[in-house]
Amino acid sequence: MPTSQVAINKKAAKSFFESKQSRWSSRIINLFFCLLSILFIIPLLLVISISFTDEKTLLQSGYQLIPEKFSLAAYSLIFDSPGVLLNAYGITILVTVIGTVVGLFLTSLTAYTISRKDYRYRKIMTFFVFFTTLFSGGLVPFYIMVTQYLHLKDTIGALIVPYLLSPFFILVMKGFMDKIPLEVIESAKMDGASEWRIFFTMVIPLSLPAMVTIGLFISFQYWNDWWLGLLFIDNQNLIPLQLMLYRVMSTIEYLSNNLSSVNVSIDMTQFPSLSTRMAMAVLAAGPMMLVFPFFQKYFISGLTVGSVKG
Amino acid sequence: MNKQWFKVIAGVLSLTMVLVACGGAKEEKKTAGEGQQKEELPMVELVWNFPLSAIPQDLDTVQEAVNKITKEKINATVKLKAHTFADYNQKMNTVVASGESYDIAWTANWNWDYLQNQSKGAFLELDDLLNSNAPGLLESMPEFVWDAAKIQGKVYGVPNYQTVTKREGFIIQKRFADKYNLDVNSIKKFEDIEPFLKLIKEGESAEIVPFLNDKYGRFNIMPQSLGMEAITANNIIGVDLKNPETPINLFETEQYKHYLDTMRNWYTKGYVNENAATLKNKNDIIQTGNAAVQFHNVLKPGGEVEAKAANGGNDVIYVPLTEPYASTGTVITTMQAINKNSKNPERAMMFINLLNTDKELYNTISFGVEGKHYTKVSDNVIQVNKDAGYAPNAGWVFGNTFNGYLVEGVDPAVLEETKKANESATKSPLMGFKFDSTPVMAEIANLATVIDQYLPALETGTWDPNEKLKEFQDKLKQAGTDKVMDELAKQIKAWKQTK
Repeated sequence: MPTSQVAINKKAAKSFFESKQSRWSSRIINLFFCLLSILFIIPLLLVISISFTDEKTLLQSGYQLIPEKFSLAAYSLIFDSPGVLLNAYGITILVTVIGTVVGLFLTSLTAYTISRKDYRYRKIMTFFVFFTTLFSGGLVPFYIMVTQYLHLKDTIGALIVPYLLSPFFILVMKGFMDKIPLEVIESAKMDGASEWRIFFTMVIPLSLPAMVTIGLFISFQYWNDWWLGLLFIDNQNLIPLQLMLYRVMSTIEYLSNNLSSVNVSIDMTQFPSLSTRMAMAVLAAGPMMLVFPFFQKYFISGLTVGSVKG
Repeated sequence: MNKQWFKVIAGVLSLTMVLVACGGAKEEKKTAGEGQQKEELPMVELVWNFPLSAIPQDLDTVQEAVNKITKEKINATVKLKAHTFADYNQKMNTVVASGESYDIAWTANWNWDYLQNQSKGAFLELDDLLNSNAPGLLESMPEFVWDAAKIQGKVYGVPNYQTVTKREGFIIQKRFADKYNLDVNSIKKFEDIEPFLKLIKEGESAEIVPFLNDKYGRFNIMPQSLGMEAITANNIIGVDLKNPETPINLFETEQYKHYLDTMRNWYTKGYVNENAATLKNKNDIIQTGNAAVQFHNVLKPGGEVEAKAANGGNDVIYVPLTEPYASTGTVITTMQAINKNSKNPERAMMFINLLNTDKELYNTISFGVEGKHYTKVSDNVIQVNKDAGYAPNAGWVFGNTFNGYLVEGVDPAVLEETKKANESATKSPLMGFKFDSTPVMAEIANLATVIDQYLPALETGTWDPNEKLKEFQDKLKQAGTDKVMDELAKQIKAWKQTK
């Protein structure tokens, strides 16, 4: 047998083996992620199912994936007096929209600036941004800053301003913008484009995947937040949705942990029932769950911090 | 260069002078203000922080009504800042640390700790203010209540006078007691209930839980019936009431072994709910009306009505095992303190005084506005309108509950009985003593970890105490019970000397 023949055979065998291996490994990987997704989805389904279950059945037979006795009582209870809930919904939507638009604008501006290779102080500026991810002033200085210097207590601004610029998002965005060749920008400049024009007509369209992804992250941050409301809002008309939900849940938890040995009485029956709590959770999570799939395609082009990815 | 330095120094100097001048002016104003106050009481605004189960929707209306009363009586308005019980600790810590201004804040031994915050310097000493600005307040509560509130001989918080006693015993659903002819007088000790549990187990469906227990166990709420008092967090270390100066490890006592054996016995016989060791919120079971017998430590007069609502509408009877007992812990469960940096401490004290002595103010803050949030059934009895946006249902957060209206359905004799129970209660030999756990914080944290690991399974009878109790006790010892006991003994000794 000529040696070349052997080599070809070997090569064929190798490629056959490789494809077989990759088929198997991809199956295993697929299976693994299917299982993982199921594990992620089940708790959510359980919450939805509980919200539709009759309260008494729930207490007697516990949580079940398929409601033993179907009931809309929890939802009708919430929608009978929707004023408070709708108000909180409105606040959350307002904060999310304003926060995302303004936050995204500021984040991309900052990221673009420190990604420009002809910007003299880009290294030190990048370090400043990076530094804040390592060390923070702590809760109390943050609180003093917002309440006593910015005077935002009890205003809608307190729910928006603190999250406008996140160093992590700036760095991710910078990582993406680093890949825009400086030559493109320089040539645009030679053609007479101003900096603003370059930013709006070239940089933003070129970094659309990053903009959308970061935009989604920012909007999640605003939508899911209860912490700022807890710290800075006393006016009940400015309470965001998640804080409303958080308060019910945490108070029940706190009281059932702490009341056993204290001689004060708190009427636990005044709290919303289990199915009502779950219905609130479903209503609070709903819109974001619907929005998410539409942004999903932008994630494919991917974002990286540090290492190379195409 | 020299010129520049000169400029800088000049600048700093002039700035300092301006600041000094400002400070001086302020000082002057303040003294002038104080002089005036005594004559005509200038209008001030007070800020009051307190927690509730939920923040009422219609707080504004109530605030208006409250201010109408306070404006007339002490020429002050009050800003009501309600928080939830769960947020309160975090929120107040931030407020205090950031120096945000407030005048009055609610405090207790179970939420936003009184002792801890006093030692941080958050509270104003109240003795002088009580004498000069709060007529009638000192006399409105028994002496021992004030004793309990004292830290190193000084009062830093005004207790909201309410049920200041504990009484341990069983809560039993009436329908079962009637059905099986339970002789209430036969129950003198914890284990006397066993024959009754047996009847329920045999006679009722599997849904009914004869004896309800949860992961926190019942031992921590029955020290009095066993002749002890728990002192440290997690009820690890306490004292034998016969010898109150020597701390003991409660988990090493005979009584504890006895409790565990009883529980194990009940658990193996199926009297205890099987999920007890993992059950966090036992209210979910109580609500279904399936809990036949529970052990509780606050059987207060009139409590059966509240317990009925909590038990899914089933009538309950109380079977107390102990006489009412008052200790430091039962008194300082709810109090008002004044901010050390309050600008108007005198007025704040006047307001606290009104909360505790003025019926009109107390009822407005506890129940809201008449006709809107509640309707009067008779002179002293009201019906709460639950949907009107103000039903805190927690008068004990605000002030002296004996000044309040009776809610419909509550026995009118309750107030008298509660008062009697308070006054006749057996007083703890350590009344007024508060354990400062700061020196042994690490040990307490370690002990908590061990307790989390062993206590739920042991105290519900899920584990056999003969196999696991020794292990539990050894682990506790390793985690530092001795050090905590030494510290406690030291503090008791020091406290005795100040008395």
